[in-house]
Amino acid sequence: MGFFDGLDAEKYDRKYSDRALIKRISQYFRPQAKRLGLILFLVVLISLIYSMLPVTVSRGVDLIRADRSVGTILLIPGLVIAIGVLGWSTNWGMRRLLTRMIADILVNLASDAFQAATVHDLSFYDQISSGKVVSRITSDTQDFGQLVNLLTDVTSQFLEAAVLAILLYNIEPRLSLYLYALIPIVFLLAISFRKLARRATQQGMRAMSIVNATIKETVSGIAIAKNFRQEASIYQEFSRANRTSYRVNVRRGLVLTIVFPMLNSLGGVATGLMIYLGGISAAQGIVTAGAWFLFLQSLDRFLFPVMNLSAFWTQVQNGLSAAERVFALIDAEPGVHQIDAQPVETLQGAIDFEHVVFAYKVTEPILEDFELHIRAGETVALVGHTGAGKSSIAKLIARFYEFQGGSIRLDGRDIRTFNLRDYRRHLGIVSQVPFLFSGTVADNIRYGALNISDAEIGRMAGQIGEGEWLETLPQGLKTEVGERGVRLSMGQRQLVSLMRVLVQQPAIFVLDEATASIDPFTEWQIQRALELILAKSTSILIAHRLSTVKSADRIIVMRTGKIIEEGSHSSLLSAGGHYAELYNTYFRHQSLDYVERAREFVVSSK
Amino acid sequence: MAATVDIAEFTLEGQHKSNRSNPVRWVISHSIRQWPFWIVAVAGAISNALMASIGPILIGQAFNAILATPAQVEKLGGIAILVVITQGSRGFLQLARNFGFEVIAQRMERDVRNELYTSLLGKSMAFHSIQPVGDTMARATNDVREVNFMFSPGVNLVLGSLIFLVMPVIIAPQFHPSLVITPILFIILYFFALRRYLGALEPITDEVRLSFGELNTRLSEALDGIETVKGAAQEPAEVNRFKQNAKRYRNAAVRQGDVEARFIPLLLLSLAYGFGLLHALILYNQGILTIGQVVAYFSLLLMLDFPTFTSMWAYSRIALGLAGARRILELMNRENNLDQNLAGHMGPMVGEIEFQDVTFAYENGENDLEHISFKVNPGQRVAIVGQTGSGKTSLIRLLNRTYDVSQGQVYVDGIDVRDWNLEALRRGISMIEQDVFLFSRTVADNIAFGKPGATQAEIVTAAEAAQAHEFIQTFDQGYKTMVGERGVTLSGGQRQRLALARAFLTDPRILILDDSTSAIDSATEDKIQRAIFLAARGRTTLLITHRLSQIRWADLIIVLRKGRIAAMGNHADLLRESEAYRRIFTEK
Repeated sequence: MGFFDGLDAEKYDRKYSDRALIKRISQYFRPQAKRLGLILFLVVLISLIYSMLPVTVSRGVDLIRADRSVGTILLIPGLVIAIGVLGWSTNWGMRRLLTRMIADILVNLASDAFQAATVHDLSFYDQISSGKVVSRITSDTQDFGQLVNLLTDVTSQFLEAAVLAILLYNIEPRLSLYLYALIPIVFLLAISFRKLARRATQQGMRAMSIVNATIKETVSGIAIAKNFRQEASIYQEFSRANRTSYRVNVRRGLVLTIVFPMLNSLGGVATGLMIYLGGISAAQGIVTAGAWFLFLQSLDRFLFPVMNLSAFWTQVQNGLSAAERVFALIDAEPGVHQIDAQPVETLQGAIDFEHVVFAYKVTEPILEDFELHIRAGETVALVGHTGAGKSSIAKLIARFYEFQGGSIRLDGRDIRTFNLRDYRRHLGIVSQVPFLFSGTVADNIRYGALNISDAEIGRMAGQIGEGEWLETLPQGLKTEVGERGVRLSMGQRQLVSLMRVLVQQPAIFVLDEATASIDPFTEWQIQRALELILAKSTSILIAHRLSTVKSADRIIVMRTGKIIEEGSHSSLLSAGGHYAELYNTYFRHQSLDYVERAREFVVSSK
Repeated sequence: MAATVDIAEFTLEGQHKSNRSNPVRWVISHSIRQWPFWIVAVAGAISNALMASIGPILIGQAFNAILATPAQVEKLGGIAILVVITQGSRGFLQLARNFGFEVIAQRMERDVRNELYTSLLGKSMAFHSIQPVGDTMARATNDVREVNFMFSPGVNLVLGSLIFLVMPVIIAPQFHPSLVITPILFIILYFFALRRYLGALEPITDEVRLSFGELNTRLSEALDGIETVKGAAQEPAEVNRFKQNAKRYRNAAVRQGDVEARFIPLLLLSLAYGFGLLHALILYNQGILTIGQVVAYFSLLLMLDFPTFTSMWAYSRIALGLAGARRILELMNRENNLDQNLAGHMGPMVGEIEFQDVTFAYENGENDLEHISFKVNPGQRVAIVGQTGSGKTSLIRLLNRTYDVSQGQVYVDGIDVRDWNLEALRRGISMIEQDVFLFSRTVADNIAFGKPGATQAEIVTAAEAAQAHEFIQTFDQGYKTMVGERGVTLSGGQRQRLALARAFLTDPRILILDDSTSAIDSATEDKIQRAIFLAARGRTTLLITHRLSQIRWADLIIVLRKGRIAAMGNHADLLRESEAYRRIFTEK
């Protein structure tokens, strides 16, 4: 099973009672009922067929001694072959069914999980990282699938052993008791070994992760080391880590390789005893020679299921908790509640916050009795220290979070009455770290408005600085952006996400401005793109650039969830209040005045 | 021996010379160095299989003893003891085999990684600036690990099971020569079936991996960008895409399941049991075999189950290991195109720079820089500005010979950089990249990286000049604080200032600074300004910067556009001449 035990329990995780969990799981098996029934039937059949192999051979030994006719000579090998062919083909059919059943269940389970993940609001993603959601949708579902696989294997092994156990007991109780006596011994050995192995593995993994980190660091540091001609020193560091890794792994290898030989030795001793005890019984006529042979052949068939059993329970638990994690993801309560799903045909973009109360956590209120009124078409910049509540306002407008009191109205309509998807089509949102999907630049620009033609995109792109930004992309609009947009610079990513909004022409534009450093030429083009958007939409800007702040019709100054000042840049600056303080802290160095005076300032300070 | 000419920048005395001509030879040349462990492991493997095949013989003898008239019960004890000894000892032999191969595998991992690492240290800066760290990491960890797995369990099980496959052929003639027919036929058919099985499986497992990769990539992208997905109301489209990807993966997985379900060797095994038994019974009927020998022979055939079951996956481990070895070799054998030029110019550097009609293209790529000419006097400050992709980074990399020009010349102190001794050139030029890399060592060690013997006083002075002293003081252990995962995490700006401190210590004549940090607040900006100003004083400085103030006050400003110089001069010149330049200095 996978090593996903490290997945911590998340806040929204619910504990399912066993009954509830089984009920939940069985919902996914229900459409597969026919296949499942057939699989179960075949599994039983396979165990019966394969347990007949040693039985046939040992009965054959007795039979052939009594009757040497050609019929017997052909009959016994014929039966062995028939058992082989029948067992193989039954197994083939069963595996085909099983692989389809598991695959179909997993597709449904994973699709439901992903569907649920797209429905959850953003408060959900604050509690659990998207990486962990991914692992629930892929690894956890697969772990659950492996559990089903495992159950089939174990069931079949056990049925086979059980059939033999019953047969052996009927043949000779005392000898079979001796055989059964091995079961607890092997079981205990296997269990205690598992503990040992787990500890060795854990220690090994911990050591390995340190070693891997060192290797990663020394590999990434090669370039720097070369720059300073420090190859020998960095090699020493690497070599030490590499040797430690070797030592730890050899030790772990010793613990892990010791178990099978040990059990095999035990099996060897048991075989010797069985030869002796069984031989005596056979000589005394208590059992036939064939039965004796059956006992000998059965030893292995008992030992292996028992050995597997010691690991079985942990694996079942792992599989079930994997399923539990998937269901917790599917069943998590949505945080955002809509009371209606009215269509949103058009939107002017007037926004009203009335007595709004909002908190991410109940104990830490962000907005209390918050009032804000934005006219349609207005451009508003929100400024304030981190935690003042600027981005909360943006997120509430996007309806990414639920608010606890008051009301938010768009064009006078309650935001809770909207069909959310309809509503969001009228929003253009650019987040602080603009996100692109793998695909071309053009694909990303039309992400929110699929029916825009290439020509239209080209025309829009040309409006920004005569399309100068396109010349830095190797294939222009057809340039592949790479996973999450890594092949583009931060500035290019911002331009693409602004273009995305530009072609969408939303009624409301929400921008959480990036803080990354961008070359002045690209910066200028971003500014042009912004101007184009601002002219057509109601805009809410969480501004980090001085130029953006200045481009707003109204600057709203926030502190601890309250609006404490508003007005234009110059009026606020001359008022000398909180805005002036913010300006001195965050914006002063962006002014051309600062640039002009930088030289004298630096020279005089030293 | 290897075909590549070794002109490495770093070599290690007395390192084992491996055969790098192809993956198989390379792996072998490494593994034969572990011959003592091979002897232990192979001896263990052979004697284990031998003991395993003695078991059936003893069982046969026990049968004959009991079935004799009268039964020879007194023989039974001796046979039973022999069984306990031979079968009980198998545990130790198996351990010798398993652990022997485990040690070989671990040593291989260690040695291979060591060889890869020294080879990487020997590669040029150009190699490392093209080669992505993630890819190198994958080879130094995963691929090296695959070579390990190739031996344990791979070779261990393949070799172990092959001996089990051969044993019945060796032992069977004991009973009757003709009895070798079944095991030999089995071996032939087994390999034939196995070949087909593995051949059928390979493209399918590739498709499984591929489709899963695609599913996973898009899934994590969609969830990472969930805000964008929701904001653009694209949830249904993403769910559809996921379902399509999941369907493709499902079909691949089912096809793999089907091939695995149709594992012919398992059927062959049953057939071998049946025909072997038939053969033995016929001989028994003719009075050639005793019943004990029939039992012994049949038990001998049961040994074939080990190779049958292991082959489902043991062979693919070897294939995966060789694939890993190929990737490692490919990296090590890649040519280096720069050498140390030990005979080159070594005098002290003054810091004059001149580019003469320089054109540069990456290997078989478009021109990245075209007809670049400019001259910088010692001690001058140059700002290089332009959009992403305009060639700024390529330009500075030509100076310390991370790359060499395609046409034209780059001169330092009037001497072509290619005529400089590489070490002397790089000692005189300090380059601070965008992402400053720090080692998991103390702050002091990181600052003194380029000058290992530096005193504490020197380090503190350097840190003060780089405006780093203040924030270092806020750490619990000051200069002794560990950096990185096991210590403090530093912001980009802090890293940059540590790199500047490094440069103060090594005191280069030419400083290249690729600066893309952004100050969140004005107070930090003040510090950065001061640090860069002090670092530039008294040396030739090339700045790639977004800071208007650094551009404004540079002695020379080079505006790049599409790999060409679009404008050049000082601030006043450019305000006059360049529309683009004027735009960025216009306050809105």
